Amino acid sequence: MSADLHGSQRAVETLVSKLRRRQVVGSREAALETVLVLRQVVSKARFSNIDQLISLIRSVGKRLVEAQPKEHSVGNTVRKLLHHIREEYNTAMTGNASSSKTVYSISNFVLQGQPRKQNVAPKSEATLTLKENDPDDPDSFARVLKPVLMEAIQDVLDELETVYDNISKNAKDHIHSDEIILTIGHSKTVETFLKVAAHHRSFTVIVAETGPSYNGHEMARALSSAGISSFLVPDSSIYAIMSRVNKVIIGAHAILANGGMFAITGSLLAANAARVHSTPVVVCAGQFKLTPLWNLYHDFGALDFADPSSVLGFEEGNLVDKVDVLNPYYDYVGPELVDVFITNDGDHPPSSVYRLIKETYDDDDHEL
Amino acid sequence: MPPKSSSSKEKDLTDEDEVLQAVILADSFNKRFKPLTSGKPRCLLPVCNATLLDWTFESLALAGVQEIFVVCRSYPELVKAAIRDSKWSKPSLGLKIVSIITSKETFTPGDAMRDIYTRGIITSDFVLVMGDLVSNIRIDEVVRVHKERRRTNKDAIMTMVVKPSGVVHRTRSKGESAIFVLDAETSECLHYEHVTGYPPKKHAKIPREILAEHPEIEIRNDLIDCGIDVCSVEVPSLFQDNFDYGDIRRDFVHGVLTSDLLMKSIHCYVAREGYAARVADTRSYDSVSKDILARWTFPLVPDDNHPGGHSYEHIRGNKYLAKGNSVVLSRTCKVGSNCLIGAGTHIADNANIQASVIGQRCTIEANVTLRNVYVFDDAHIGAGSVIEYSIVGSNVKVGEGSTVARGCLIGDDVILGKNAKLGEFERVSRRRDEGEADESDKEDEDEQSEDSELEEAEARQDSESITAIIGEGSNAIVWPKGPRADEEDLDEVERYNNQRLMRIEIPIGDPASDLPLEYEGTESDSDASERESDESDLEMHALSRISSATSTSAISTSTPGLNIHTLHDAAAYSEFQAEVTQSLDRAFAEGHSVDNAAVELKTLRMASNVPLRKVREAVVASIVERIEVVEGDAAAQRREISKMVGRWGPLIDKIGGVDPVETIEVLQYHCAKSARLPLFGQILAALYQDDIVEEDDIRAWHARPEAKGEGLKDTSFAENVKRCWLVGTKMIEQFNEQESSEEESGEEDSDEEEQPSKKPAAATAQAAVGKKEESSEEESSSGDDESGEDDSQDSEDDAPATKAATAAPSQPSKPASTPASTKESEEEESEGSEEEESEDDALAPSQPAASKPSASSTTPAVSAAPSAPPPVPAAHAPALVSSTAAPAQPSTQDEESSEEESESEASDKEPAQTAQSQAPPAVASSKQPVTAPSKAESEESEGSEDSEEEEESEDDAASRATEPVPQAQVSTPKASTETARPPATITTQTESVATIPAAVPRPRPGPDVVGGKQNPVVASGSGQVASEGATTSRATTATATSSVATTQHSLRGQSAQERDDDGGEGEESGDDSGETDEEGNTDDSEEE
Repeated sequence: MSADLHGSQRAVETLVSKLRRRQVVGSREAALETVLVLRQVVSKARFSNIDQLISLIRSVGKRLVEAQPKEHSVGNTVRKLLHHIREEYNTAMTGNASSSKTVYSISNFVLQGQPRKQNVAPKSEATLTLKENDPDDPDSFARVLKPVLMEAIQDVLDELETVYDNISKNAKDHIHSDEIILTIGHSKTVETFLKVAAHHRSFTVIVAETGPSYNGHEMARALSSAGISSFLVPDSSIYAIMSRVNKVIIGAHAILANGGMFAITGSLLAANAARVHSTPVVVCAGQFKLTPLWNLYHDFGALDFADPSSVLGFEEGNLVDKVDVLNPYYDYVGPELVDVFITNDGDHPPSSVYRLIKETYDDDDHEL
Repeated sequence: MPPKSSSSKEKDLTDEDEVLQAVILADSFNKRFKPLTSGKPRCLLPVCNATLLDWTFESLALAGVQEIFVVCRSYPELVKAAIRDSKWSKPSLGLKIVSIITSKETFTPGDAMRDIYTRGIITSDFVLVMGDLVSNIRIDEVVRVHKERRRTNKDAIMTMVVKPSGVVHRTRSKGESAIFVLDAETSECLHYEHVTGYPPKKHAKIPREILAEHPEIEIRNDLIDCGIDVCSVEVPSLFQDNFDYGDIRRDFVHGVLTSDLLMKSIHCYVAREGYAARVADTRSYDSVSKDILARWTFPLVPDDNHPGGHSYEHIRGNKYLAKGNSVVLSRTCKVGSNCLIGAGTHIADNANIQASVIGQRCTIEANVTLRNVYVFDDAHIGAGSVIEYSIVGSNVKVGEGSTVARGCLIGDDVILGKNAKLGEFERVSRRRDEGEADESDKEDEDEQSEDSELEEAEARQDSESITAIIGEGSNAIVWPKGPRADEEDLDEVERYNNQRLMRIEIPIGDPASDLPLEYEGTESDSDASERESDESDLEMHALSRISSATSTSAISTSTPGLNIHTLHDAAAYSEFQAEVTQSLDRAFAEGHSVDNAAVELKTLRMASNVPLRKVREAVVASIVERIEVVEGDAAAQRREISKMVGRWGPLIDKIGGVDPVETIEVLQYHCAKSARLPLFGQILAALYQDDIVEEDDIRAWHARPEAKGEGLKDTSFAENVKRCWLVGTKMIEQFNEQESSEEESGEEDSDEEEQPSKKPAAATAQAAVGKKEESSEEESSSGDDESGEDDSQDSEDDAPATKAATAAPSQPSKPASTPASTKESEEEESEGSEEEESEDDALAPSQPAASKPSASSTTPAVSAAPSAPPPVPAAHAPALVSSTAAPAQPSTQDEESSEEESESEASDKEPAQTAQSQAPPAVASSKQPVTAPSKAESEESEGSEDSEEEEESEDDAASRATEPVPQAQVSTPKASTETARPPATITTQTESVATIPAAVPRPRPGPDVVGGKQNPVVASGSGQVASEGATTSRATTATATSSVATTQHSLRGQSAQERDDDGGEGEESGDDSGETDEEGNTDDSEEE
């Protein structure tokens, strides 16, 4: 056991240091890594009741989240897993899996009542004989439950892997022919979204350079190589161009419970410009970016200040001493600036994000 | 998240299945942080509340290093404990950390490297860092680049990481930086020059070979040396082989780059991204801390990846407060930007904290002002205190109302009383209890030196003024300020004045700063001569012998500045001196060849990194001391001297640079100190006789103020020096007498003055001084002259002479014909007597003498030129001649330096000759500039005179056979020369010759050769051609000079004219070499 635990422990530590050192970068990447580590942890874990398992996963999750609090998808993934595990457990224990799978939408969520009752389709059959804290065979609980849990984890993994496709599947409904789309930064989600839409429609994309990282360059290159007519413009001309833009499509780093979000620097500029022109702002993001936090914008450090070198060269010796450079990597874009979130779980206005979060995670897990 | 890194690289590394090893030298090997480091090693000092060791580990872990060896020397237990208790030793981290405790005798990084070698722990390429590194550079990327390079080039043994920073940068140490010369394409480090802030270094000298070999180079003075080296396995063994390598940069890198034996190369990795710097001194402690707070080290920032494992909250204005609500900030306190406050710290009302780092569990009382202060853990700052630009150790208690001015270091556990007033740059530490002191003495003999310093400090603690500084009830002692008593023993970098630049301070440029300091002195000459020697070493090994241009510049720079100041360093070199003496003793006793002895000396010199002059001093001293004193028998004494000088004299010129003037001076100073003072004259004469020094040199020496002993305080010594000088005076008088007394001698004189390589003169001079036995026996002084001349001529009259003769007539105005014929007749006469010698020359395999012919042959041209310059080509001739003949030191030295190679060769090949007699011809021949072996030169010289080089050389080659040979005897020498010179060589030489006339017409104001030091510039594409050209031309000049000299020699009575010529020579000789670049091509075309 100790060897097993040791192995999973080591995987956790490796991920922790990678997160700390920013060797795992990007919310999807981080989420994937987290699932993989948690799968290892669960598969190696020994437990005789559900609480042990939950607390084990929570402790690992806490460790990972503390390693990199700004990579919100790590915590989200842990929460989601916990949620799934509870579901599986409940199903297995009660044996009354309600197979009625209704799709949530704004129109019917009131009727649904407590989201908690709305279960994900259970993997386990009611036939499972689960016995917690069996003194004769303490491992029996784990032995019976584990295969189900692994399946649940696999589900999360699958969801992460197909997230882009799922988001993009309705792309053609959001983009119309001959529209002019403005985007900023290089979000994989947005890129896929636009590319899929391009199969059905012809439209033009204006890409802002997105200094100081200049991710926009890559984005423009990627889009134009897919045959989409793209323009690359400096960030300073976003406002000037906005009057001709039909839609602003941007990615998000994390979606907060209040409907606001963190997105790459410059997004706030674009969103505000769009607001002035009443241009719709569409945010494409996977469900794993839903974060059960809402007051992060109070937190100065949440913007993730990177090193000043991309703004002020280190070789500017005279200035380095005299100038304090702030180089935030993210902008906080408030809920009033966003029109709709397109997720792999449907489209939602900012005002219903809290609802989504409630559905996706268990309340107990908000603080890991 | 910011795409700060790519993990793909890391995978590459692990694919190779090799464990990446790193070595941390966790000792500073200096005392810049005293007294903060009394009681703990530097690597455990906290920077932003994490120890330096943690930062270093984190930097390495970031790079995927799997195995780390920590080499600790001082306080190894503390280091080991720190590692054991840190998160790094957790097995889950997958990091293997091994601490290695080296002995107390490890005083330099070099020693540590040797220790590593002996332990044999290094199995592959490894990363070498100091234990004070803060870096977020992707070292794995550097390793990858290094390994890739190693795959194609096994000699690339090391990659240094450097970071461009701009010349002025807070993180770039002013006291210790370096100039890197890099190949723009390969980033190979071609030259490394260490720069100290004091004495300020104003010039960098770059060996010219670099320009020749690399079409594009970068000379960079804007790089921070990050102290990260990716080394190959053989690096530790190199340290082992070179027991004297101390510092990794100044000794190892410099040694490898300048070594002519190792043939290894070192590369630089210019890190465009990422941050890396060393906390090498308190100033860089300050700047690195600020860089961390300003997030340059992202993601190694306190709120993100704090190496100490603390978590901080980043708030507006780059302030970092420990998380967990343990920091208590009073409502009225002010925390400015760029601050970091550790957990458990209390800050009381109205405290004002700006740009400071406060440790954990500190208490800052009311109304305290802290500006740019670094407070370690558990400190207590009393109410109303004002501290700025200082470092406060852990557990320090500063009394109420104290003032600590900038630059202070307060050691751990110090208690300062009320109203203490620490002045600028004070260092205080805790007074030890008696028992404690004894104890520490016992257990730690290593700290002896520190103790002595401490005790010294303790000793002067009684005075009232000290109490005023540290306040009542203090347990502190104030360390002495200013240079230490043993300052002389210290490394240049560690000296007080330089260290001043490394203290925590108000940034330079701030009006409050008293830096930069004024510096009165001049740059030390030892550097120059040292460099010179290095260059000339390289040169000697350069296969293409063309490379000598550099040494010219070096020598010319060093000569004027040479003075006795180096004597100050005598103590430092005493060890070296002893080694040299031993080595020479061995050589004398076992009868080594001069070359072997020279190699040994060279090795020693490089090993100890001493200037060339020191070597010369040692060699001269050994030789002089070896001469047995024979009382009362002048003849026997003379024989003794000439035997010794004849056998070992050549060694003086083989130690790596030729500088006869210095040789004389060294000899003088040695004799002045030695019991062999009376022998000075005789030894000098012997040297003269052996052509180790020339009359010119003697005159030059004689004219120098040092030679007269000016500026010497020691009376008896000065007197002795003076006596030697008087001997020199006598000798020169004799030279002069000879001139006036004889028709011919007049010319000789002029020859000698202008031309260092004149052999014939030697005979006369010796005779004149009355010390030469052989020559005096043979002939009268006048006879000597002739014979000397003849010798030189004999050896060469063959081809060149003929050509000259033929060439001259071919010119329209034919002015040369007469002089040429006269000369020839002279030659013929003289030849009779000297046949033997000429034959010797001929026999000598290398025909070094071949170049001589120019001498005789040139005559006609020279004579012709002044009298009636022939049309176009000839017009150059006079100018050239004059230039070459210049007595001006630089030019002559140029020649010599270029010749030194030839000498060595020549001597190798002609041992028989030298043995047989010191007959001038032999020596003369050996003096010829070797490279385009002597054959070429003869032609060149002719070329210069005739000014129609190509024609001539072609003529020579083609028509040699057909031309009527005036002298009958010539046949023998000629035959030999011809065999030695295949037609191919001739053509090449023609090229080089051709350069000269072309060069002459465009004089250049700042000639490279003469002003060699002033041209360390970026040489691009043309660089190669340029330097080659330069070299060639120089060789040519050299030959030309000798030839001219001879010419003048034979043109008796024309001395007046020649003197006129002399005027312009200096510059022109410079011009030649400088100009030649462009000419290279022209020549070729001309040739065709």
